Amino acid sequence: MSKIIGASVSRKDGKAKVTGTATYGAEHQLPGLVYGYLVTATIANGRITNIDTSEVEKSPGVIAVFTHKNVPKIFKAANDWANSQIYESRLPLADDRIYYAGQIVGLVVADTFERASYAAHSVKVEYQTEQAQVEAKKATYKDSPPWFGEDFEFQEGAFQTGDFSAARAGAATTLEATYTTEIEINAPMEPHALVAHWQNKDSVTIYEPTQWVRVSQGTYAELFGIPSERVRIVSPYIGGAFGAKAFPWPHGILCVAVAREIQRPLKVVVSRRQMTANTGHRSQTEQIIRLAANRENKLIAIEHTAKTCTSLVEVFSEPCTAVTPVMYATPNLKLGQELAELNIGTPTFMRAPGEAPGMFALESAMDELAWELKLDPVELRLLNETRNHQRKKLPFSAKNFAECLRMGAEKFGWNQRQMQTRSQQQDDLLVGWGMAAATFPGYRGNGEAKVRLLPDETAHVLTSANDMGTGAYTVIAMTAAETLGLPVENIRVEIGDSIMPDGGLAGGSQMTATLAPAIVNACQKVLETAKAQNAQQAFVSLRASGRAAYEATASSAPGEEGKKFAFQSWGAHFCEVTVDEEIARLQITRWVSVMNVGRVLNAKTAASQIRGGIIMGIGSALMEECHFDPALGYPVVYDLATYHFPAHADIPRIEVAFVGEPDLNFNPMGVRGVGEIGIMGVAAAVANAVYHATGKRIRELPITPDKLL
Amino acid sequence: MKNFAYVRASSVKDAVERATNDRKAMFIAGGTNLVDRMKVFLDQPSQLLDVSRLEMTKIERTKEGGFKIGALVTNTALADNAEVRRNYPMLSRAILAGASQQIRNMATVGGNLMQRTRCAYYYDTAFPCNKRQPDTGCPAVTGINRIHAIFGASESCVAVNPSDMSVALAALDATVEVQTMQGKREIPFVDFHRLPGNTPDRDTNLEPGELITAVILPPVAFARSGVYLKLRDRASYAFALVSVAAALEVGGEQIKNARVALGGVAHKPWRATEAEKFLIGKRANKSTFEQAAEIALKDAKPLAHNGFKVELSKRAIRRALAVSAKGGGLA
Repeated sequence: MSKIIGASVSRKDGKAKVTGTATYGAEHQLPGLVYGYLVTATIANGRITNIDTSEVEKSPGVIAVFTHKNVPKIFKAANDWANSQIYESRLPLADDRIYYAGQIVGLVVADTFERASYAAHSVKVEYQTEQAQVEAKKATYKDSPPWFGEDFEFQEGAFQTGDFSAARAGAATTLEATYTTEIEINAPMEPHALVAHWQNKDSVTIYEPTQWVRVSQGTYAELFGIPSERVRIVSPYIGGAFGAKAFPWPHGILCVAVAREIQRPLKVVVSRRQMTANTGHRSQTEQIIRLAANRENKLIAIEHTAKTCTSLVEVFSEPCTAVTPVMYATPNLKLGQELAELNIGTPTFMRAPGEAPGMFALESAMDELAWELKLDPVELRLLNETRNHQRKKLPFSAKNFAECLRMGAEKFGWNQRQMQTRSQQQDDLLVGWGMAAATFPGYRGNGEAKVRLLPDETAHVLTSANDMGTGAYTVIAMTAAETLGLPVENIRVEIGDSIMPDGGLAGGSQMTATLAPAIVNACQKVLETAKAQNAQQAFVSLRASGRAAYEATASSAPGEEGKKFAFQSWGAHFCEVTVDEEIARLQITRWVSVMNVGRVLNAKTAASQIRGGIIMGIGSALMEECHFDPALGYPVVYDLATYHFPAHADIPRIEVAFVGEPDLNFNPMGVRGVGEIGIMGVAAAVANAVYHATGKRIRELPITPDKLL
Repeated sequence: MKNFAYVRASSVKDAVERATNDRKAMFIAGGTNLVDRMKVFLDQPSQLLDVSRLEMTKIERTKEGGFKIGALVTNTALADNAEVRRNYPMLSRAILAGASQQIRNMATVGGNLMQRTRCAYYYDTAFPCNKRQPDTGCPAVTGINRIHAIFGASESCVAVNPSDMSVALAALDATVEVQTMQGKREIPFVDFHRLPGNTPDRDTNLEPGELITAVILPPVAFARSGVYLKLRDRASYAFALVSVAAALEVGGEQIKNARVALGGVAHKPWRATEAEKFLIGKRANKSTFEQAAEIALKDAKPLAHNGFKVELSKRAIRRALAVSAKGGGLA
């Protein structure tokens, strides 16, 4: 390997996307398509006492109106993660209870979108309103159950080794600080949307963006009491998801249920405003970090506790403390997670769930400790890195963290940094340099792909895997091209359809680690089928044979390696900010990141993924926050103009470099994934640079201008 | 969206007649704000009177030496106009500080004056809002009010005007030319927008049926040193937390003339006239600017979450004045 793998290849789907020929879920046009518009609750807690739909039913073009009084039959799903999973345990329109503002209370179906939205707006709902609790500060916290779902056995938050208190009591230097982050919403560019098309009442095609085609298929099958073979999920393109498009949300379930009832293809698009309330967000967090160091600047004790919030209709505990056992060695480690219930929509996975806010707290605290110890923060990290996952008690399969730190420091010119705040100035601006570490677990699932060799000397790869806009189409083609010995442009990739072999989950940064080995296997198998050494030989015999194609399907799955190793990617961010102190104007002016992610398949899209993560991290550092009205319980952002994330003008040139070798302990391709590590540590790097520039330690994200006054 | 009739007005007179005869009709030109509002039922006009093809697209010199800007001049065309950039740089910069290139390409000068607040409580019919529906209440007074007013608000409404362009026009003492059934009338810019009082549903002093035909800029020689400084939550495509349009005329060491207007702080562009008066005759130095900023903010009444706007405004004024005193440019 090496001709194609590792090169910079432009994305295969780029032209289709910029010319508008890539068809997203809601863009599927079907004969007889009708439109559903959600009616959502305007209170945050209480009951529906009356819904009057009689007038609305007479509204022009209205076909049907559904509320809790006439909701079609929906079964419960097993929610076992492997076969079925929904984001919110309560089924749509289950009863008259309201648990959060923006909760779906009805669906109006009409012959056009405008008529449906107008009629939905005219539905009169009367409520008995109860006091809503939407403020994290006033919530009641309890020890957190496992991360997510009813039966989903992620690690629990609480953990302890050694004796934290005793170690801290004997420490030379201690540090304690509280860090907070606000609610962030996933806000993908493509809104949540789907088209459901039933053939009679026992077979359905669902055009919906989903990060996990096979589980989406299994879930809808369970919800509607039909075999999964009778559910087809079509999801060739996803316009961003960031964790919020892995499983059906209530609007999707309702759309499919209603489409079956009315026996018409039905489209439901969640409005941008509705998306602020009912399709997931990252919980606000309040985290306390306690560090204790000895005279040799070694961490002898670390405590990390986190408080996060969930809805009243699902358990989702933002796992902030997951990063702590992998980052720094300590004999005395204590972790705790607490959870409270609020009258807000259900939080969910959002790019590096838990880990991103957790890393903000941990890497801010490490910076604070370095200042306390009068030590270079790079040096403090080098001194304290761990060779083992301290919770799993396993060595890392590969780790080039120190190299990330050293190379990043060198590229950035870190050794020129003045070890004093407010010490660097340029054109009347304060200049600050900050750094933080990055890490993210390597995950891998079961993947399967089909490869067909065709007489026109092309190959066709099929798998149900997804491309969220990340470059999956391209790395699939590159992997096949490399293995078959063909040019990338001779590979046709078709993905995102449940009739294809199971490509696994595009989440947890694992799509490539899951899929690439399966594609290699399928390519090798098709050459074996053809009794050929390479594709050229196969094409010759194929043409001679008179057959249409050689075809093979193969899979790849994790083995016993997880019992021997912990898998983790690593990185380091270095950034420069300027602060115009008088007018509280902050600009990020320089960014260097060095990443250790195993083998990089496509240098161009991998670096783009890292950049995307960094930009999203800058959003969380400087501007992303979704507040809820304390009395009425509804978000007070409503679109992409009022929910701020970075514009181009906020982002400097971002230099990304990769170090390390293929992680062959992890999988045969040695890839660990690049989807989430980019965001890790970014907010801390910014906050640390702000401290260096101004002497102001900001522990509450986002760092908006008011906090710089 | 609610169904509406669409009519292309054949002339300014035709547009005004139709609007006068149908109080539920609305004018549309660029539609960059109105269509958004219609989609979420904030406005449900009976008919849209399309004025976008009428002849109000010129920027002409006036005999007084100023400029008359047709109401249909796009924001982009106005910001890019060489005379405007040279003579009224604060106006060009204010426009470029707002919205996005695509929106500015569609948005018109008249429409910019008519855009409505982006207060989240106004923007969703799930919330009560006196501006949208009189006498339903204002949850922003006690709710999340970080972006809201510190000047001139009332119990009924604490929303702010979102326009950047209007802040510069207020500082420049522009005039709004309006077509009525009876003929033309002119409204001084500072009187064009209203404070909320008990009628926050009315943003402007336009009477029903009246159509903006032009904005007239008087000659303001020292406006060449004018500055527009906008402070916001991100570097582009965000409404102002606080903005300042300012210009100083300095002769010798003395300030001879001053203009200061604030954006993002009130239901209308907020002229700091007391501060302007204070500045005249003073030396153009840091201490003067600090005192002017204090005077400009002395009557500010912040809410629970926007107290920072008082300090931020002071600093923005100081900076804008200092830059203007040096001849202008980017602040």
